[in-house]
Amino acid sequence: MDRIIELRDVSTIYEGEKKPAIKNIDLSISENEFVYVIGPNACGKTTLLETIIGLLQPSQGEVYVLGCNMRKNGAKIRQKIGYVPQDFLTDPNEPFTALDVVMMGMFGKIGLLRKVNDEHKCKALKIMEKLGIRELANSPIGKLSGGQQQKVMIARALAKEPKILLLDEPFSNLDIKSKQKILRLIHKFHQEKGLTTIIVTHEISQVLMNKDNVRIIIMNEGRIVAEKTIEEFLLSVKEYLWLPQVKMIK
Amino acid sequence: MASPGEDDKMIMLESTIMLRALIGCILSGLLASIIGVFVVKMKISAIGYCMSHSAFAGAALGVALALDPLLTAFMFASLTALLIGPFAEKARLHADIITGILFPLNMALAFIFMTLSPEIGLKSDIGSILWGSIFAITNSNIVYLVSLCSVSFALIFLFWKELFAIMFNRKMAEADGINTKPLVFFIIFLAGMVITLSLKLVGGLLIFALIFNPAASAFQFSHSMRKIMILSPVIGASSCVGGLYTSLLFDLPVGSCIALISTLIFAISVVISPKRRRGGGFLG
Repeated sequence: MDRIIELRDVSTIYEGEKKPAIKNIDLSISENEFVYVIGPNACGKTTLLETIIGLLQPSQGEVYVLGCNMRKNGAKIRQKIGYVPQDFLTDPNEPFTALDVVMMGMFGKIGLLRKVNDEHKCKALKIMEKLGIRELANSPIGKLSGGQQQKVMIARALAKEPKILLLDEPFSNLDIKSKQKILRLIHKFHQEKGLTTIIVTHEISQVLMNKDNVRIIIMNEGRIVAEKTIEEFLLSVKEYLWLPQVKMIK
Repeated sequence: MASPGEDDKMIMLESTIMLRALIGCILSGLLASIIGVFVVKMKISAIGYCMSHSAFAGAALGVALALDPLLTAFMFASLTALLIGPFAEKARLHADIITGILFPLNMALAFIFMTLSPEIGLKSDIGSILWGSIFAITNSNIVYLVSLCSVSFALIFLFWKELFAIMFNRKMAEADGINTKPLVFFIIFLAGMVITLSLKLVGGLLIFALIFNPAASAFQFSHSMRKIMILSPVIGASSCVGGLYTSLLFDLPVGSCIALISTLIFAISVVISPKRRRGGGFLG
């Protein structure tokens, strides 16, 4: 299988900080892989995602996505990545509807000087339908609940038909039923469209719900400390009692 | 006593000045309030404020050196746009820091240039760039305003979807593959140009009211960005025409009248805002 994401000795330091948020990361993710990134708070999970997508430039090392160096071709490659940021909540008076926000996800891919057409709108409404938020299309985004806004952001990431999907704590504002429904939908996209998926989560119970072959990346203090399949993780779970997620299950 | 022929000439001259002032008002109002929507939504109000004072300092230098104030204001505004935009990005300086430094610097320079101005100039030219003057608007100003209007509207139309996404959230727009930097710099530069060309009408100290107030008023009425983009210039042009009329009626500085009318419209918008009745917030 082709390597679709590759990090070579990558470290990222935030401006004004001395200590890197992620250190000497070497990581390869193949096409069609489903990866969970887990670890304690502030271990560098979000920094890892933002470095992969190129929103943060690494202070050391190189990131290659779809065979391209993100330093040189970041904007072009980002058009093929769906990204859901952590805790995305908007001002109650934002003058944008939910449909506006979902369609915005496609703007980069549509390209400069090209107009949005009915086909794009249909695509956006279709994905909103699948996520159960079709009836909210014309509602102002800021008036929606946290969970509804999170679904809008997931719809925004999926509407552009990405090759890679990066989700940062995408279920934090959702109830259990919605979590399961959306996770099933993401798995369906992963299987049907061969979508390479990385999910950062603190809820290990969701990871363990997976029947598919997924990889678990465990991070601590800015480093990747282990990479396991679910079976391997369950067999060696005693080694990871320091993880808050594992403690919760125990 | 003037002959009947001279009276006709005077009436014609007055009508020409009035017509020029009216056209200038409408064009400045449209332009400034369109830019205002971007300034408010991209949260770069401090940049706009800093830019208006740099154009004012530039115009003061022009008067002091007996050069065209429009040219020197343009140069100062462009230089400030460069410092706030690409330079600050390169030097990794936060926009708040660079605007915080440039604002008092521009004011200090403006006051120094004003003291260097010849006495007659201080009364007429400096006065017009301080609080605006309808008599200062020339035919070439109108031509510049029409050109800037055409170019700005064409570029905003062409890059509307990208600007729309940036106004919602710049980081998310970047994550979706939109190269946001040149578009944000374009808005900063455009703000500089609009401020420079509207300086003679509203004056350097009050021009920001024409950028900010109509946009802030429009945000009180709608949850649709497209409607706000139409409403803001309507409020901007109305503020200018209303300000011009009030200025002529009470013989007051036109810039101050425009600022007062636009503030009054904002106050009324806040009171009658449908968003507020539904429990909304301040700006949108």
